[in-house]
Amino acid sequence: MTSERRILNLLALALAFLAMAPFLWLLQMSFKTNAQVFTFPPELFFTPTLENYAALWNTGFRQSFLNSLVVSTAATVLPMLLGVPAAYALSRWQARAASGISLWILASRMAPPIAFTIPYFLAYRHLGLIDTWAGLVLIYLTFNLSLVIWMMRPFFDQLPRALEEAAWIDGATTAQGFWRIVLPLAAPGLAATAILCFLFAWNDFFFALILTRTEAMTAPVAVVNFMNYEGWEWGRIAAGGTMVMLPVLVFSLLVRKYLVHGLTGGAVKG
Amino acid sequence: MTAASVRRHGVERARTRFFQLCLAPSLAVLAVITLAPAVFLLVSSLTPLDLTRPETVGDFSRPLENFRLMLADGRLGNSVWVQAKLSFWTVLLQLLIGFGLALLLNSRDRMIEALRTVFLIPMVLPPIVVAIIWKVIYTPDISPMHWGLSVLGVTIPSLITDPDWALTAIIIADTWQWFPFTMLMTLAALQMMPQELIDAAKVDGASAWQMTWHVTLPFLRGVLLVAGLFRLIDSIKAFPLIFILTDGGPGSLTEVTNYYSFQQAFNFSLLGYSSAITVVLLAASIALSWVIIRAIGWGHRD
Amino acid sequence: MTHPRIARRSLLAGAAALGATPALGQAKPYAGQTLNGAAFQSTFFEYLRGYFPEFEERTGARVNFNTQAFPVYNQRTDLELSTRGSALDVVNVTFIYSGRWIGAGWLTNLSDFVADRNRTPADWDAADFVSGAQSAMTNAQGQTFGFAWEAGAMLLAASRADILDRANQPMPTTFDALLAACDAVQGRESMTAFVADRLHHWNWIPYLMGMGGQVFRDPPGNLTPMLGTPEAIRAAQWYADLLSKFAPSGGLSFSDDQAMRAQMSGRSMFRTQAITWLVPLAKHEESTVKSTVRYALMPAGPQGNYPGSNSHGLGIPAGSRRKELAWEFIQWALSKDMLNRIVRTHGYPSVCRRSVITGEAFKTALTLNGQDVASLYLQVLELGGRSGYMKYRTVPVFPQVGDTINRGIDRIATRQQGAEAAMRQTQQDAVQVLTRAGVRLDGG
Repeated sequence: MTSERRILNLLALALAFLAMAPFLWLLQMSFKTNAQVFTFPPELFFTPTLENYAALWNTGFRQSFLNSLVVSTAATVLPMLLGVPAAYALSRWQARAASGISLWILASRMAPPIAFTIPYFLAYRHLGLIDTWAGLVLIYLTFNLSLVIWMMRPFFDQLPRALEEAAWIDGATTAQGFWRIVLPLAAPGLAATAILCFLFAWNDFFFALILTRTEAMTAPVAVVNFMNYEGWEWGRIAAGGTMVMLPVLVFSLLVRKYLVHGLTGGAVKG
Repeated sequence: MTAASVRRHGVERARTRFFQLCLAPSLAVLAVITLAPAVFLLVSSLTPLDLTRPETVGDFSRPLENFRLMLADGRLGNSVWVQAKLSFWTVLLQLLIGFGLALLLNSRDRMIEALRTVFLIPMVLPPIVVAIIWKVIYTPDISPMHWGLSVLGVTIPSLITDPDWALTAIIIADTWQWFPFTMLMTLAALQMMPQELIDAAKVDGASAWQMTWHVTLPFLRGVLLVAGLFRLIDSIKAFPLIFILTDGGPGSLTEVTNYYSFQQAFNFSLLGYSSAITVVLLAASIALSWVIIRAIGWGHRD
Repeated sequence: MTHPRIARRSLLAGAAALGATPALGQAKPYAGQTLNGAAFQSTFFEYLRGYFPEFEERTGARVNFNTQAFPVYNQRTDLELSTRGSALDVVNVTFIYSGRWIGAGWLTNLSDFVADRNRTPADWDAADFVSGAQSAMTNAQGQTFGFAWEAGAMLLAASRADILDRANQPMPTTFDALLAACDAVQGRESMTAFVADRLHHWNWIPYLMGMGGQVFRDPPGNLTPMLGTPEAIRAAQWYADLLSKFAPSGGLSFSDDQAMRAQMSGRSMFRTQAITWLVPLAKHEESTVKSTVRYALMPAGPQGNYPGSNSHGLGIPAGSRRKELAWEFIQWALSKDMLNRIVRTHGYPSVCRRSVITGEAFKTALTLNGQDVASLYLQVLELGGRSGYMKYRTVPVFPQVGDTINRGIDRIATRQQGAEAAMRQTQQDAVQVLTRAGVRLDGG
């Protein structure tokens, strides 16, 4: 290892700690009683308590957690299934309509959520979709579908067409070329896109706030519920936040392998 | 026409059909979930729709009244300016930090690979929890930052209630939350960077700086643009941070347009007026999208 | 609804026997139904939740009662009510939304239920609810749309009376005396003299009125805002000075809880706020000022004393499909019996039934650090009910006008604008939001 690299590594480590510090502070708060949270100066060494987590688990938080998991997974799979082929078609198809379609897709992604909220709320009341998983998944499509199309298209653009064209010459259909050649090469892009879809759905607060009541309430909204009218339960909020980020961490770690080992850069070269 | 050209023609048609098949479901779904609400929005912006007054539903007697009121609304004008400042600084800082970190972390080193995951954490936290984290940091009573500075003998005001600092406080929190997004996208692109580009530059004897400036940056331009664009989009939607940290205050110093529109609609039920504001926001974002599509040449490839 | 009335009457009779009903063996008219209720989180509902099984046992219905954070609850319920949906059967009628919800016809008229002896036994005694608390739940025709479970009455609390005593300062009774007392204690034992939460449109108004100003010209009939008047400018300057001089750093963004903690931990001396936030100084296990806290009436201004009072009630959405069951629930939850039990067992301070407030259990619960806070509480409630000065707060457009007030005071306290400029702008903003809401104003 060169000394330059070593310095850069140390720098990266220091920056990582700096970036993590605010989060770590919340983490340690989740193991403190409310009185300890307000102790000044803060105690850096204390006897941790699990009471915040226990209190949390005995509320409706369990159900909210499950809701978030189901809704976010569906709101990842569905737009990926719909959007990835669409992004490929937009990348490869030299049709004049493609330009207009790009604008539309991007604009729907850019639309402020408030623009969707009221029409959806009124329609859902009518359709009985308020406070349901399906209702949330549908509105999450408004941003995740365009996210997939937008994110995937540059990845496809960067893949040389020579690869598919070679496959076509060998007698593969367009679909086969897409499935066997293009998708595997785009795996890092797919993984990154899927992670982001999941995160955006998982982290949504605005739509869930307005479109759910109790049955389908998601974890972020549940965390806000701990902000009592008569007292902010900092410890419980911290514990809830920590639990909300757990599945996301796990998911990111699983997909990380694709990001690192996919190394399609090498394959593109050929 | 030769047999070969007929066959090629048939293949072209099949290919076109495949692309249509790929696009159709997405377009159909998008039409239902985005166009219909947009039409509703436009229609309601022409009415004084106020849910507490049922007679305002479908009242088209003065269709442009909302837009006339908007012109006289000083708070709205202020919110646009606040939004511009917030968007500019957050996007700029996130691109710089995300790009810099991606370069730093683009290494096969084991520790660095582990660190990549660490850097993703701010982004994967729910925004509402991020808002709470920063609420803690900005609240002198329980803040580790204020405590740390007081140990050093520095006393600073509470940032979120100080008129000189409130917006900066939001910008810092937003940047902390979202630099991983630009970093992740840049890293993914860096890993797809063709080795021969790097090799060729090395053969030419390029220094690290020259390499970054003349090879890496041009290669990443498209990705950085897309990343910046998405951050721009989301900065316009900034909600939980402002909701939890400042509620648009002190006064209206951190009140962005989206937040103002939200208040008009959901705190005061002035849906018609809020729709009109949102229509303008929407028009602006469509114009912006068009500019950017032109800039990166999507859909016009030759 | 097709429930047999006879069965219901006997059920109510049984209810009087305090949960001793399981052996009745009668058909439960609401068996299999679910009552959906919602309110903001409060200790009252935490306590009440413990008794839900009794109600479920008696009626056969299942209670699904959800509580949310205050702003979240208000926003969701406002939206839900606006569509006249049937998702909720019992809701909390929030004070500042009461005029709006009642005026828009989103709540059920409960006077009909009260008057019907088949639905409501005479000894439930609706007149027992304190008039000040009920006034927000009533429309101009005197119809009632909710019954109060909480009444907030603004008092003055000093967290460290020992410091006041050593400084020879009595509890201030006037605005001037409050300033003098703040001057005398500021910085002692590293205390700040005053603390307030950020809800200026609640905290500031008593000072505005005490100096002769008002929010609207003559609510609810004439809603012309009066925020640019010399009185309003003077009162805004006075209050903003109080905050910027004596409140803790960052105090301008304090939530209710943060302000309470500042007092509880002895970091701030005075606060003028509703009793719910002051009682914990004497009762909360984490309070460090239990033995030094002192209570008094809100100080009076040169033009009189106008302590804020508000109330939150239980009501039934107009769209509910289970109104009979909902009314059963409200009667049960706010019966004399239940309230007495909650006061006795949990020491809940903010009940609104006169018979409970004047009872022994309440007096014991509200004897705080040796002081009779119960009588202070009742005085404030009566004051608000009699003269109707709180009417400004329950007009349908108050949420948006209150918002402009918050921002105006903010601008002065953070020195973005002088009081005069800030209040003139506040007046102009208020006129604009009222115009947008279709309100007719004088001279407009």
